[in-house]
Amino acid sequence: MAMRARHKIRAPRKALDDFDTSWSTLAASLREIHTKNASSLSFEELYRNAYKLVISSRGNDLYECVKDLEREWLENVVRVRLAASVSPSLLLDRTPADTLDQSNNERRAAGERILAAIKEAWEDHQLCMGMITDVLMYMDRVICADHHKPSIYVASMCLFRDCVLRAPMRPDSDVSLLDVLKSAVLFMINLERTGHIIDRQLIRRCIYMLEGLYETATEEESAKLYLTVFQPMFIETSRDFYRAEGERLLQLADAATFCRSASSRIAEEGERCRFTLSPLSERGIQGVIDTELIEKRIADVIGLAENGVKHMLDHDRVGDLANVYVLVARIDKTKTTLTLAVQRRITELGDEINATAKTFSHPTPTPKLNESHGPGKKKGDDKDKPVNQQTVAAVKWVDDILNLKRRIDDIWKRAFESDQGMQTSITNSFSEFINSNARSSEYLSLFFDENLKKGLKGKTDSEVDALLENGITLLRYVKDKDLFETYYKKHLSRRLLMKRSVSMDAERQMISKMKMEVGNQFTQRLEAMFKDMAVSDDLSASYRDYVYRMGDQDPKRVELEISVLTSTMWPMEIMSSKDGTAQLPCLYPKEIETVKQSFEKFYLNKHSGRKLSWQPSMGTADIRAVFRRSDGKIARHELNVSTYAMIILLLFNDVPIGESLSFEEIRTRTLIPDHDLIRNLQSLAVAPKTRVLRKDPTSKDVKPTDQFFYNQDFQSMFTKVRIGVVSSAGNKIETQSERKETEKKMNDERGGSIEAAIVRVMKQRKKLVHSQLITEVLTQLASRFVPDVNMIKKRIESLIDREYLERISDSDPPAYGYVA
Amino acid sequence: MSSSPSEYVTLLSGDGFEFVIPRSAACVSGTIRRMLDTSNNFSEAISGRCVLEDLSGIVLEKVCEYLCYNEKNKDQNVVPDMEIPPELCLELLMAADYLDSTLLFSCIPCQKALAYKDE
Repeated sequence: MAMRARHKIRAPRKALDDFDTSWSTLAASLREIHTKNASSLSFEELYRNAYKLVISSRGNDLYECVKDLEREWLENVVRVRLAASVSPSLLLDRTPADTLDQSNNERRAAGERILAAIKEAWEDHQLCMGMITDVLMYMDRVICADHHKPSIYVASMCLFRDCVLRAPMRPDSDVSLLDVLKSAVLFMINLERTGHIIDRQLIRRCIYMLEGLYETATEEESAKLYLTVFQPMFIETSRDFYRAEGERLLQLADAATFCRSASSRIAEEGERCRFTLSPLSERGIQGVIDTELIEKRIADVIGLAENGVKHMLDHDRVGDLANVYVLVARIDKTKTTLTLAVQRRITELGDEINATAKTFSHPTPTPKLNESHGPGKKKGDDKDKPVNQQTVAAVKWVDDILNLKRRIDDIWKRAFESDQGMQTSITNSFSEFINSNARSSEYLSLFFDENLKKGLKGKTDSEVDALLENGITLLRYVKDKDLFETYYKKHLSRRLLMKRSVSMDAERQMISKMKMEVGNQFTQRLEAMFKDMAVSDDLSASYRDYVYRMGDQDPKRVELEISVLTSTMWPMEIMSSKDGTAQLPCLYPKEIETVKQSFEKFYLNKHSGRKLSWQPSMGTADIRAVFRRSDGKIARHELNVSTYAMIILLLFNDVPIGESLSFEEIRTRTLIPDHDLIRNLQSLAVAPKTRVLRKDPTSKDVKPTDQFFYNQDFQSMFTKVRIGVVSSAGNKIETQSERKETEKKMNDERGGSIEAAIVRVMKQRKKLVHSQLITEVLTQLASRFVPDVNMIKKRIESLIDREYLERISDSDPPAYGYVA
Repeated sequence: MSSSPSEYVTLLSGDGFEFVIPRSAACVSGTIRRMLDTSNNFSEAISGRCVLEDLSGIVLEKVCEYLCYNEKNKDQNVVPDMEIPPELCLELLMAADYLDSTLLFSCIPCQKALAYKDE
């Protein structure tokens, strides 16, 4: 094709030299390539030959000739060679069976041999075809474009598939190399699953081949041989394997082991797909494990009696629970099975706590005649015990729940990945069993009471905070918050009046926490109580000033510290006498009476139109007492007693030594209600360590016929003696009758709240359908308590009777209107 | 052949001219690239010499000029046109086809080539 002349260039002559000559040189060279002798060949020569054939419109013939050449090569050389390396053992048994190790080993060796041979043949074929494609590049360019044929490379891959892999290996059987390959690979996977080590790399190579081959010449992704031929079988055998595995594990192992094995199987299969097989199968095989190992078995595993989830929860097996969680999360977004198991266990544990509290606190019908004031104080006689025990039980109940809650929360965080849904159901179960205990509000309030009274001593701010926070967490679960408020108010009032609170800061903190949790309305009255206390402090101070300015410098004058309480804010009923009858004012000794009158005058001057009523049952007094002992010594003690006890003791100031007062005398001279009188006399004359009075006869009970003497021989190792009488001064669990009282009051109060809510709603809406009204009222009140629907209905009736509402006639569904 | 192939390759024309150009420049042509591919390991890859039997020295010279021109300007937007004498156009077109170098195609003014052919 050299240039003939500068000015005259003809188009190159078509090389019509015979096709056969060119082809035969080309064919010889291609064979050389197959036998790996390419280095002796000139690319340019081969290329030029092919180029020329294509240029001379013989491309198509060339294409077919190359294909024939390849087919011939694959059939006569490659296939024969591979068939020779297939050992008979591979042909005999095509399903992986757990036969003896001996034959396993044999089979495995044979398998590896054939895999290696296939791999080599495949890689050679790929390499050679790569070279041939390069040489025939020009042909591909022209032929593929003009004739819509697959490139020679693709065509030769199809040939490899059909002539090597798919063709029967022996004339007498229809077992193809592909079948052998599949069963060998599956066999090895099985070996690996049972703990043997296999040549992953080799398998991966063979899988590469299956991934590189397609069912069609157009090479769609989904037509990969791997997907059409190998994967279904792989999934199938895996399913069988894991079905058996699930059964085996369930029989042999405990739940923890089961989950561990399942998790490690999942990881193992993932790794297998990445390193041994193809990532394409990962989803499929995980699906198999999910169904066979998890979905079908997990419910059984979780429910296993002796080592299921229950056992794990009980023994804080966080790791195991995390395993279970991960497994369940794989098959179920909502994790129902696990959630239910956890819920069941929580409710069980909660019921246990409730039951313990109940057995602990059998309400004792015996009147609480002689009690020491704190549940923690073990002094006092045996009769205290039941009641104290109840209080202890209440506090223990809360503690138990908090412990359980802490444990479950910890598990939830560490094992359940702080799962939202789980949290909701955990919260539900807590709330369920807490509310199933009718006394939960009272118990919780007692818990706060205990802690605010003494539990906080010596604790740092953050500890206090944590403790209160814990309590508040439980408050969140309590449905009847109004009931809690009642109890809390009652307990708080005692703490405030008796100055039993350890730290006012903590009290305030508590209130603000409750405010955040339950709302303003809830804490309003509690805050008012605090305000009263603050106002009273000021009042006492200014009264002292007032007295000082009056110039009444009587050194014997009694100092007064007063708490003026707003009667609507404070739980007055606990201060009044038990039977609820109006309290007759008792007779004060004259020293006291003057102070009382002077204060009344002072107070009413300041705030005219108010009425003060005195509550001696709630007060305390410090008195100094002198005992002339029989041994001649004189002992002085400061006694801290209740107001009533003070009145009683002051009577003895006027009684000559050695003489006595009878019960009747004391009663008529003081007018202290019987109930309180008996209690106070008991603590003065019966309680072993505070026997300031002597009683005749010495018995435990106080009878109207008893005589009382001033006990000159009183002994105590302390100068200050606290004589803890005080009726129901300690905050403790209520008795049955008290509870009924509280419940009745509660119901009345609720009735009020419901009516208020109904009116609020109706005022706004003017007209409302019955069911809607009920719903609205329920939502409005939800933060305080869960009202009974019947109660709401009754309240609506009553409001209609009182003409706040009216029934709208001929309305369907029934509706009400607001009467302005 | 050392383990790392030399940076330059030699292209030989059918009539015996030799051109030594950078390997990277030469490999713009698909044909030459495949020829020199070490994984295929044909004799050209081993020796680093490509005999292009069908190309004359003149055409190959122009081809090499183009290859170097292309290498030099490959990253630039505005490049000077390469000067191609009309009488070489047709043969260059064929060479471009043979060498599987579409870029070279685009440089050759085809009308000129065809016009020249018609003459």
